Amino acid sequence: MPFPPSIAEALAALFLDDEARLRAQNIHFLDAGHGYDAFGLHPSFVALGEVLVSPLYDKYFRVRSFDHHHIPTTGPAVLAANHSGNLPMDGMLIWLDVLRNTTPPRVARPIADHFVPSLPYLGTLFSRGGLVGGSRGNARSLLDAGEMLMIFPEGVPGIVKSFKKRYQLQTFREGHAELAIRHGAPIVPIGVVGGEEQLPSFFSSRRLGKLFGIPTFPIPVVPVPLPVRYYLYYGEPIPVHEEFTSADADDPRIVGEVAERVKAAVNVLVQRGLDERPGVFQ
Amino acid sequence: MSGPSPKRRVMVTGAGSPIGEQLVRRLLDDSRVELILAVTGHPVESFPLNDAKRLTVFQVDLVKTRRVHHLMFGLAKELEIDVVIHTALHSSAADEGDKVHAYNVDSVRNLISLCERHPTINRFILRSASAVYQVQRDLPVLIGEEHPLNMSGHAPQWVRDRVEADLTACVRMGLGSLQIVVLRMAEVLAPGTGSQLYDYLQSPICFQPAGFDPMINLMSIDDAVEALSAACHGNEQGVFNIPGADTLPVSVSIQRWGRIGIPAINALLSPIYRVRRRLTGHDFRYGMNRRWFIYSGVLDGQRAEQVLGHVPSHPIDWPVPS
Repeated sequence: MPFPPSIAEALAALFLDDEARLRAQNIHFLDAGHGYDAFGLHPSFVALGEVLVSPLYDKYFRVRSFDHHHIPTTGPAVLAANHSGNLPMDGMLIWLDVLRNTTPPRVARPIADHFVPSLPYLGTLFSRGGLVGGSRGNARSLLDAGEMLMIFPEGVPGIVKSFKKRYQLQTFREGHAELAIRHGAPIVPIGVVGGEEQLPSFFSSRRLGKLFGIPTFPIPVVPVPLPVRYYLYYGEPIPVHEEFTSADADDPRIVGEVAERVKAAVNVLVQRGLDERPGVFQ
Repeated sequence: MSGPSPKRRVMVTGAGSPIGEQLVRRLLDDSRVELILAVTGHPVESFPLNDAKRLTVFQVDLVKTRRVHHLMFGLAKELEIDVVIHTALHSSAADEGDKVHAYNVDSVRNLISLCERHPTINRFILRSASAVYQVQRDLPVLIGEEHPLNMSGHAPQWVRDRVEADLTACVRMGLGSLQIVVLRMAEVLAPGTGSQLYDYLQSPICFQPAGFDPMINLMSIDDAVEALSAACHGNEQGVFNIPGADTLPVSVSIQRWGRIGIPAINALLSPIYRVRRRLTGHDFRYGMNRRWFIYSGVLDGQRAEQVLGHVPSHPIDWPVPS
């Protein structure tokens, strides 16, 4: 990062209470020797992440989340959520929600498309907070180390879909299911409600996306995200680690079925959220 | 790890380099090593340990195949050498051409060929480098042994030679009784080792591509020597990543070396360092290392730990404490 952890610590001391600072200090991570893990995560930048995301979480999007007890407190796990909103607010809000609502505090490691870690500044900042590029090797290493991944199985088509397709889950890729089976990690489905309305767009430009080094550039109808209220629902973990052996990860039928189960579970949570919320901004 | 191994008689090439010299010292301290034949391109008298017991120093140019043949089937046979550790690698990226290629690559091919039909040698250990790996945005940060190699034809000879030498050894694995071990070592942050980063850190101001601060893995000369000497013993063969004890962002390495890091536009860095090279004679080439300054790449040493028992335990002695 262009600035050292000491500055991140100073900012955290300025804006976070003791409890939040302690939370960042107590996260589980594998220090590779200089205070960073091999992927670049640093606790001081996790605290800085909380500084940056908290106003969005608490004030702007006023997140309400449910059933945190479904988040595993230890060991490898895969969080699988629906993706939406043209900007990855959903990932940031889940990241903070998990950090705040797990004891001991856990950092959900977002698995992002390859272009994200290679974005200047943002990619580095996200890496310091725990994000990793979406290669199989990275995910494998993290699960082997007992980390919890945050995956959006719809990928980019999920986040950039047009407003008329809101809350219609796009095709779920199967990588998350394969990884979970192979590494004996339960899959926790997450339903995210609110993101679809934050930055509605009716079309996106691949040409503009190419200019910015991203797959596609959505053209929103509003200049900034709307202050919608986010709802996060954690579903009961799908115990693939109990149902399958790691060799089953090579069976395309089993992997496909698990991915479909995850999609169905996420869909149930999304529908629950849509039924329960009193309004887009409430 | 295998059980107790017999005493070894070891030949070390590149013994005149900092790593080679330290390796010889280390082997002299190892009671499991009976005898050492240090092969250097420099005059024997200049070798600092040439009066040590159990040590024979021999000068040969590894490019001269006839002389190498005479060494292997002359002195090495007489001394009943059973392990060859090949550490000789041309260190400067500035030097290119057939002779450098012959030193880096053809010498490996020639040595392996000679070892394969040698009556006493049964183990060949090649010092390779993490520079053989490709780093790019869609590849894992943690680099396992199956990670893609940098096979780009546009890569400079410094890189291409290392990849070719590595593969030259790999393709001979398992084809005969000769055990071949390739150690892909993290960058050794020390002078005279061919470390581009060491050269980069010699300026008081170090320019970094703005917005990027990837994770890198560096090793001390002590860990490099320990890995090479550990590979002497045992019967395992294969390719092993040898990470160092220091995994850190580039910016922290700059700070710990007591330098000032300045972010600069990526496109300007190649010209800046070209000018620096011409003015000061430094060896660092930004173009050759560009990807390592943008994308993280850290060696995964699990296999070396499980099979060779190697765990990096000697962090770099940084000039600036943390």
